[in-house]
Amino acid sequence: MNFQGYGAPAAGGYPGGFPGQQQDPLYGYFTAVAGQDGQISAEELQACLTQANFSGGYRPFNIETCRLMISMLDRDMSCSMGFNEFKELWAVLSGWKQHFMSIDRDMSGTVDPQEMSQAVSSMGYRLSPQAMNCVIKRYSSNGKISFDDYVACCVKLRSLTDVFRKRDQAQQGVATFQYDDFIQCTMSI
Amino acid sequence: MAYHNQYRPPHYNSAPPDQAFLWNIFQRVDKDRSGAISDTELQQALSNGTWTPFNPVTVRSIISMFDRENKGGVTFNEFAGVWKYITDWQNIFRTYDRDNSGLIDKNELKQALTGFGYRLSDQFYNTLIEKFDRQKRSQVAFDDFIQCCIVLQRLTDVFRRYDTDQDGWIQVSYEQYLSMVFNVV
Repeated sequence: MNFQGYGAPAAGGYPGGFPGQQQDPLYGYFTAVAGQDGQISAEELQACLTQANFSGGYRPFNIETCRLMISMLDRDMSCSMGFNEFKELWAVLSGWKQHFMSIDRDMSGTVDPQEMSQAVSSMGYRLSPQAMNCVIKRYSSNGKISFDDYVACCVKLRSLTDVFRKRDQAQQGVATFQYDDFIQCTMSI
Repeated sequence: MAYHNQYRPPHYNSAPPDQAFLWNIFQRVDKDRSGAISDTELQQALSNGTWTPFNPVTVRSIISMFDRENKGGVTFNEFAGVWKYITDWQNIFRTYDRDNSGLIDKNELKQALTGFGYRLSDQFYNTLIEKFDRQKRSQVAFDDFIQCCIVLQRLTDVFRRYDTDQDGWIQVSYEQYLSMVFNVV
């Protein structure tokens, strides 16, 4: 799906919503599942992405991956996602999907560890071979990584990197964690 | 610092079970009589009180804790450990399931984890339940409760390994952080 048509929302003046919201096709998918509170849960996100046929030829996302996506953007620890986050998620997911498709040339729906490693590096993560192995091992089944697992991995990497960055005051690639904080921020992924 | 003394769930100094009693159980669980209990066999033998299958991730964690040779199952010798581990958890669960509902709600979970020595924010308990509650009833069943505690334990263990001066603080590089936690959470 191509969303290049949107540009920045028009300036001010629309009552009850941000400018351009109503015209946004994504808004349609979102409100179809969101209900009155304008928030979606992991299950609703899964339904939403499936309905929007986000995964295209690939299998739809499993619920655990959707839960990871919600917590990646869940700033208020509400375990749910509003429309702005949904839009942000969509943009990020689209980038990852394009990337995956560019590697999965035979459209098999899976990539091998080597390709996964390259994908992770090209996203800008600098990991040692050992760290990379940890990452890949977690997500391979039978030596292959599916689209869903690839996305789950990207989400986790992004979330953990955010957690780390917040505790790396000097931006030197070293973070300090106090125990209680370590448990909570890491488990919140 | 709570994290030093805590962490192991309270010990139930139950006397070791009778060997004949254990053997009886073992045979019933080892349906294919292979001499080892597999993940599937253990899963079928356990109940989480909800009429749905016991969490396979938890089953895997338990088997791998006691499977000394990484063979994917537990022999009779190893099974005693499994039996005790599960019985201890049953006792703990029953202790904290104060209203006897068969599920542990947010407050009961708070009591349990605080009792084990964790110091976690109220908001965080919402996250824990959301993360571990597979029944989607905003409470945790027996298997999910164990799973939650196992993950907390693993994170604590990995933290402790890096906290060489035991002051409750660690300093790690980005790579160390990723390697530490990626496979636990």
